Amino acid sequence: MAKQYDVLFRLLLLGDSGVGKTCLLCRFTDNEFHPSHISTIGVDFKMKTVVIDGIKVRIQIWDTAGQERYQTITKQYYRRAQGIFLVYDITSERSFQHIMKWASDVDEYAPDKVQKILVGNKSDEVDKRQVATEQGVKLAKAYGMDFFETSAFTNHNITESFTRLAEQVLAANKKDLDLLRMSVNDELNLTALEEEEGLCDSGTGDQGKGCWC
Amino acid sequence: MDQSVAIQETLEREENCTIVSFFCSHALVYGLLIPEKKDCLFETKIFIYNHRRMAITGDDVSLEDIIPISLDFAVVEVFCVVCLILGADTRVRVSYCEEELELRLPFGSHSRCFLTEVNRAWSGRSSLRVISLAPASTTVGKLNQHRKTGLLSDFYFVEINRHSSYSGISSREDRDDLVRSSSHTPSNKAQILTMPQFGLRDTLIRCELLKNEESYTYLENFSFFLGTYNVNGQSPKESLRPWLSCTLNPPDMYCVGFQELDLSKEAFFFNDTPKELEWTKAVSEALHADAKYALVKIVRLVGIMLIFFVKKEHAEFISEVEAETVGTGIMGRMGNKGAVAIRFCFHNSDICVVNSHFAAHIEEYERRNQDYKDICSRLQFRQLDPTQPPLTIMKHNVVLWIGDLNYRISDLDVDNVKELISNKDFETLHTYDQLKRQIDKEAVFDGFLEGDIDFQPTYKYDTGSDNWDTSEKCRVPAWCDRILWKGKNIEQKHYHSHMALKTSDHKPVSSMLIVGRINGEAYKKTFEDIVRNIDKMENECIPSVSLSQREFDFKDVKFMQHKAQTLSLFNDGQVPCQFEFIQKPNEPTYCKPWLTANPYKGFIAQGGSVDIELEIFVNRTTAPELNFGKQMIEDILVLHLERGKDYFISVTGNYLPSCYGTPINLLCQLREPIQDMTQETLRKLVSIVLNTEKPLDIPKELWMMVDHLFRNAIKQEDIFQQPGLRSELAEIRDCLDTGMPDSLPGSNHSVAEALLLFLDSLPEPVVPYHFYQQCLESCSNASQCEKVISMLPQCHQNVFNYLAAFLRELLKNSASNRLDVNILATIFASLLLRSPMKQDFAEKRKTQEFFQHFLIQGSS
Repeated sequence: MAKQYDVLFRLLLLGDSGVGKTCLLCRFTDNEFHPSHISTIGVDFKMKTVVIDGIKVRIQIWDTAGQERYQTITKQYYRRAQGIFLVYDITSERSFQHIMKWASDVDEYAPDKVQKILVGNKSDEVDKRQVATEQGVKLAKAYGMDFFETSAFTNHNITESFTRLAEQVLAANKKDLDLLRMSVNDELNLTALEEEEGLCDSGTGDQGKGCWC
Repeated sequence: MDQSVAIQETLEREENCTIVSFFCSHALVYGLLIPEKKDCLFETKIFIYNHRRMAITGDDVSLEDIIPISLDFAVVEVFCVVCLILGADTRVRVSYCEEELELRLPFGSHSRCFLTEVNRAWSGRSSLRVISLAPASTTVGKLNQHRKTGLLSDFYFVEINRHSSYSGISSREDRDDLVRSSSHTPSNKAQILTMPQFGLRDTLIRCELLKNEESYTYLENFSFFLGTYNVNGQSPKESLRPWLSCTLNPPDMYCVGFQELDLSKEAFFFNDTPKELEWTKAVSEALHADAKYALVKIVRLVGIMLIFFVKKEHAEFISEVEAETVGTGIMGRMGNKGAVAIRFCFHNSDICVVNSHFAAHIEEYERRNQDYKDICSRLQFRQLDPTQPPLTIMKHNVVLWIGDLNYRISDLDVDNVKELISNKDFETLHTYDQLKRQIDKEAVFDGFLEGDIDFQPTYKYDTGSDNWDTSEKCRVPAWCDRILWKGKNIEQKHYHSHMALKTSDHKPVSSMLIVGRINGEAYKKTFEDIVRNIDKMENECIPSVSLSQREFDFKDVKFMQHKAQTLSLFNDGQVPCQFEFIQKPNEPTYCKPWLTANPYKGFIAQGGSVDIELEIFVNRTTAPELNFGKQMIEDILVLHLERGKDYFISVTGNYLPSCYGTPINLLCQLREPIQDMTQETLRKLVSIVLNTEKPLDIPKELWMMVDHLFRNAIKQEDIFQQPGLRSELAEIRDCLDTGMPDSLPGSNHSVAEALLLFLDSLPEPVVPYHFYQQCLESCSNASQCEKVISMLPQCHQNVFNYLAAFLRELLKNSASNRLDVNILATIFASLLLRSPMKQDFAEKRKTQEFFQHFLIQGSS
């Protein structure tokens, strides 16, 4: 029997420009792949519904601009995420090294119980590999994260990585969910709960207009 | 064409039919009949007709159903997201008594008229005319199916009217509102979908699932042969074939239940009986000869036994088989009464078969109800996963319940019963059946269905015959042995008793049920497809715009020079969108003070576009920081779409430093035009005092303007009162910032205004802010005022005195230039003595008074 309630939460894709965040998202939500690189200048999102452990989970996945000049702004989106993908490109040593910076930004700006996962994208480009799988494994272990090497091009580990992060978010919010199981309310909106707690700028500030939804 | 003639032919004389419209693609016509006489006792009714051809004559239509518009009648419009399209069919839900059905009426005035009349009939429940038939577009077969399966309610999205109208006190106004609401609301499916408060997503999925039901259900039907036989403690004496092999085709499953298998004490106390084997053998020998069957499970509690056979080829799809028993006999526990049950999973359906023997005796029907409840609550199957709570009967998708339920015929004496039986009037007899009555009262078997009984009671016969009980007790015949079911997609093929078997004082009963199996794989796939499509639709409906440009570069921005570039937004999404530039964290506004977006928020219709002017204007507030590179022309705007994405727009550029907005002391150190200096030099000038050379007494730019005016405008009429030309002001500014020409361009008025602007743009006024208060205090005393001025930093003091001297020169020519002390004091006091805070009128007067001393005095 399908459970009658939904869970909605936000996942955020972070990483250097060009590591393939938008491609990961497109592959996951639309099962499409566009090889040309168009920089995301802003914050885009898509919805995807998955069933995890019998629970209908609606995921809002935010795709952020990776370029450095926008980072002061994109950081402000972190705190509204329940789960974060730290993405690097296995053909770019630099993007891998920057994971440290991304991770420390996450520590600073994201909520405490945010779930993180490390993703090394472009695993199909074996000839250009600059970051060994073991390096990824090691770094993920150091941060206590799960690790996936993915390819948006070949659709390798895409669903797996998204599902894993969604599972972790579910597990981290299990208490709320369990409460919900007992209540009559038929939709749990983790993001909405947060907004009720006043973490959202909208409507609270006197200048009023800034909503980072 | 008018079908009223055809309908009319079926009606009584005093009934009249006036309007009929017709919806060709479907085979139903709905009619509303209103009695002619006002106080007539009979109610208005909706007649539902089936028809063939085009319903030309009365022979073409046949009456399917009648819905009386009585007190318990209600009609509400049903809004369905998928049909909220202008011109779509109107859906209304009609409910009466316990029944509900959905009528689809074609869009148009006929339907509105029909609904109006229905509502009028409801609120008045009488009228003079006989009205109209409106057509409909759903088939009765479908309706019946929904009524049986209870699916109907799943169709509805929004129920406008809570069923308070059942009470019958709802007013005419309420009804009228309903009719009004039956007009069509054009709406955008996508928009509704994105509004979480409607919770339409789930319902949409459900609706889509229903629409695609055929793709995943009814793909495979399985026939369940259900048999129940109270054998009265007898051993099998005759073949059970007439009972178990009565169907043409071999059933897929056999669920055969016995009661009173063994009435001996041994069976009762030790639950051990040789009859189990005897009857099992008899059953397996009597199964349909055209198929091979596998015995899946036998469960027995004293004399209550259930045997489950499955056709060999289906055996591999049976899993999770469990059997349980519950005694409800003596002490509420013993096994002479009670139930046995087998549950299993077949493909993806959870099925539970219950064989029960309820308490006997005609008056004990409440005891029997109690037995049912006890069995439902006490019979629990263990789950494979021990952490899961045990499964009860009702948690199964399909429940098949057979047995000697022992409900009797009451309120009729034995002769009447037998007479009805000999007349084969089972329908009348059935109304005296306790089980039917108890079910109708919802006292037992809630949600279960039973087929029509078209066979004579199965109890009680003289053993070995078809004769009714001739014993002293002379029991009233009764339908003790029954078969009921609960679940979706179940259809009964037959429901019989089997008179040929004479072993017992009961006759066996059988039923063939066709159970539609939900094809789990197909269901899952359909579900996923729907979810994916809705996700896709939802993603497509996220507001989206395309931007003509993402980066804006403003070259050579100058002081007080308006520069603008156009950003075009095109709504390339599927919904209208609301855009707004939103504030960034730690910044008071959505952009830097020298920048504005006009309009900064707005609405773009789908496919529409909006031009936004990005305007740069550097004024005296923003100039100082830009002059020395403390700030750059650099900003990122966040364009937010409501419920949508955010776009970053970057604005870059370079600012040409200007004497405007540069402090006096700094200007005094610049011997070259400000734009000949590198940004680097300027920055150094700000941070450390370069005393390589003696600074200028006053800024050369000030000198150039004052000198120009002194030479050319000393007698200029209305000088400092007539505004200059914007273009000339720009030329003067450029001149001051780039070179040291002998004379300035533009008219005297422009130069005069340029001077005022220069003073106004000084980051620190000529009388620095921290002297302001002192000035106010000493304003009435001329020498005090002079004292204050003498304390100013040297360059400020120089500028002050220089200006005052120049203004006194002007006043000497007041005959020509028409200036006086008051005018000049008003103009210049506000520039030279600026308040750090907001200035009130009294303060203003004091600053003027202060400055006047310097204009009047003859010397300095």
